[in-house]
Amino acid sequence: MGAPGNRAVRGGATSGQGEHEAGRPGEQDAGRPGEQVGAEPDVRFTLANERTFLAWNRTALALVVAGLGIVQLLPPFPGVPWGRHVLGVPLIVLGAAVSVTAFAEWRRNQTALRRSEPIPQTLLPRILVATITGVAALSAVVLLVSAVR
Amino acid sequence: MLPDRPGDRAARAAAGLPEDPEDLSPGTAAERTRLAWARTAIAFGAVGLAMLRREPVAGVLVLAATPLIWALGRYVSASAPPETRSRRLLLVTVAVTGVAVLAAVAAFIGHGGPPRLP
Repeated sequence: MGAPGNRAVRGGATSGQGEHEAGRPGEQDAGRPGEQVGAEPDVRFTLANERTFLAWNRTALALVVAGLGIVQLLPPFPGVPWGRHVLGVPLIVLGAAVSVTAFAEWRRNQTALRRSEPIPQTLLPRILVATITGVAALSAVVLLVSAVR
Repeated sequence: MLPDRPGDRAARAAAGLPEDPEDLSPGTAAERTRLAWARTAIAFGAVGLAMLRREPVAGVLVLAATPLIWALGRYVSASAPPETRSRRLLLVTVAVTGVAVLAAVAAFIGHGGPPRLP
């Protein structure tokens, strides 16, 4: 969402309808849901935000399938009967977390676009990198323990 | 997407082209979004088929969500009210989270079986 966000700041992302409302979000938007505040942004930004959300959800599905595949398709690690679950279940949980966070971020970005504010920083790549690195480290530990036993 | 280099905008302006290449054909944004929905529906179908062999019930449930996602993508509309758009995306989140719950259940009580303690 970097490009649309930057453009939103540089050139103004709103469609022109009710732009005066966007300047006073506090007064006009009190009590309104996040995706209804401010003015309707340029539809291309809205669609780009939606595509980003969908891309994160496909990533979430891939994580869930990878986790299930590890648990059900890998042969058990000799001497480490819990090894497959330790590696697979965090990926399944991460999949659910990525999907929920993607929705929260879509709402946040949409609100920022409607208010012509900068797009907030996304947490998702950090969550993804931290968990995948953790699972990779765990894989090494499980393999080592399995080799030692 | 390639980064916007400083010279690009000036070159495009000199050639009489719009600053954003998408301005030449704004409809492509809606088309790309429809394709993204189609890819997401196909991903659901692939996950359902992958689960079908070992967890038939979970696989059928995920496969049943595929046409729903496909149908949601057919109604990509620039004029959709914000609350409709929000509800549609919330449905996708609920569906993906549901798949994760099914996968977690399958991991513990399905063919993977519970982790056996030594």
